[in-house]
Amino acid sequence: MEAVVDATGLEKTYGETAALSGASLAVERGEVFGLIGPNGAGKTTLVRALTGTTDPDAGTAQVLGEPPTAIDRDRLGVLPQDFSPPDRLTARELLAYYAGLYANARDPETVLADVGLADVGDTWYENLSGGQQRRVCVGSALVNDPDVLFLDEPTTGIDPAGRRTVWELVESLAAAGTTVVLTTHDMAEAERLADRVGLLADGSLIAHGPTEDLIAEYGGSSRLTIETDAEPAALACLSSLVVERERDRGRSAEPALVVRDIDPAEIGTVVDALEANGIEYTGLSWAEPDLEDVYLQLADETELERTDRARDSNDGPADDVERSPETEPTQTGGSA
Amino acid sequence: MSRVGRVRAETGAGWRSFVRRRTAVFFTFFFPVILIAIFGALVQTDPTGGGLFAEPPAYYVPGYLAVVVLFTPLSRMGSEVARHREGNRFEKLSTTPLTRGEWLLAQTIVNAVIIGLASLLILALVIVVTGAEISFSPLLVPYILVGVVCFCGIGAMLGSYTDSQDGAIAASNAIGLPLLFLSETFVSLELLPDWFEPLVNVSPLTYFARGVRAATDPAATPAPVAGIDPALGNLAILAVLAVVAFALGARSIPRTD
Repeated sequence: MEAVVDATGLEKTYGETAALSGASLAVERGEVFGLIGPNGAGKTTLVRALTGTTDPDAGTAQVLGEPPTAIDRDRLGVLPQDFSPPDRLTARELLAYYAGLYANARDPETVLADVGLADVGDTWYENLSGGQQRRVCVGSALVNDPDVLFLDEPTTGIDPAGRRTVWELVESLAAAGTTVVLTTHDMAEAERLADRVGLLADGSLIAHGPTEDLIAEYGGSSRLTIETDAEPAALACLSSLVVERERDRGRSAEPALVVRDIDPAEIGTVVDALEANGIEYTGLSWAEPDLEDVYLQLADETELERTDRARDSNDGPADDVERSPETEPTQTGGSA
Repeated sequence: MSRVGRVRAETGAGWRSFVRRRTAVFFTFFFPVILIAIFGALVQTDPTGGGLFAEPPAYYVPGYLAVVVLFTPLSRMGSEVARHREGNRFEKLSTTPLTRGEWLLAQTIVNAVIIGLASLLILALVIVVTGAEISFSPLLVPYILVGVVCFCGIGAMLGSYTDSQDGAIAASNAIGLPLLFLSETFVSLELLPDWFEPLVNVSPLTYFARGVRAATDPAATPAPVAGIDPALGNLAILAVLAVVAFALGARSIPRTD
């Protein structure tokens, strides 16, 4: 398959801060590629490097076979992360304005309807809600019917119904052959929309692949979370299962007992054991691993590596210390 | 969409954005009215007396026009560029077919329409309020247009090199005020110390003032420019400066972060 977006070893530094440290990725025609990563990981800088709005210090990038600054702008759609268009134009006027900048734009009325704003089309941008404003901005990126679409956090501030509208729009564009690169902090969004997901940390793509492959590789096992004050020893009778007390990676405010790698059919056994031992609990939930687990696992590993590097750096170089290898993108399935 | 279509789309958006800011519209036209009211009607000129305002009323017409030709583009373009930067609009526009030159041209057209209307108001007020006797030369139109192009370019540079709207407006005032009074607009060169002359000669507004005066004031006796009619010679110099300022202004508009 042809790589529509192809970047190798992109580096970008702002002062002493390295925003990109050798980021590489390839996105095939018609693919939706989701970029996830912590704040400051370099997602926006990577999008800017790929759209020609920042010049990387090193590395190469090509979009549609051209350097980002040389591509045919009629084929490119971009939604910057922090973007506010002229605020005293109506939603309808804004889409017509951006449509007027392209050779073969879509009908702005159609785009207005696509982003679910037909009923507020005559409202000034500054009087729209935050979510509606973002949807106008999304519309401005689609108005030229681009071959490649970059969306930097497209659904930030949009309510669930509006988010679903944008998702369906992106899905329909992808189905029609548009290549989409989107950044998001919403794991559900990445899981639903992206054919492949890449995790960016410290300016490098540390893993990428189809969601299910990433989950299988890094997501860990299924788990049963029991909200109780009891200690793991209270369930010692469940000798075949691993029971731990842990904060469930931020999913639960209070510590809980977590039974790992448990089949749903075994939940009854655990409930029986809880009752047999007189253990009181306030909640019981079972979950398969998901993209958020992948994110947290890889982010944790990156944080540990960073801590190790800082410690090594403080200790000074030592010939007999085997340094951890530089971060290499880990590919799980897929072809990039 | 063709270049014309892109400029038309940008011009339309810029025009609507301007006319919907009522305060900006009001003061764009009220500022020259205040100036004429103060200098033309209250202070009044005295051709037979001494002091700074000792010329006939028609002498000051280029000065009144210069107020809008200079200040409106400087402050509007400066703040518009700064506003675009703050809203990441240039980042968005740089991913569209619209070029920096086309963007600046569209904004210049918006300014030209605004300043054209303000100039008509000024000319009417000057005649009615001060009784100035001027000739309506067709050269007034190119002078105003070329002046707007020149100062839109300089305004774009101010907006690009300052870090906020406030900074752009402060910079435009800091540059505009000295230019206004050191460009043979209200104060003739003879009334200034000799060492001002080189500064006066590098100001684009000087050529605007000299040329407009040559074209509109029947009593004026301007010196020819390299043997050419001063009304045309000064326009030629202003046009060259406008091309340079426009090119530099367009180039200064940020395409990347």
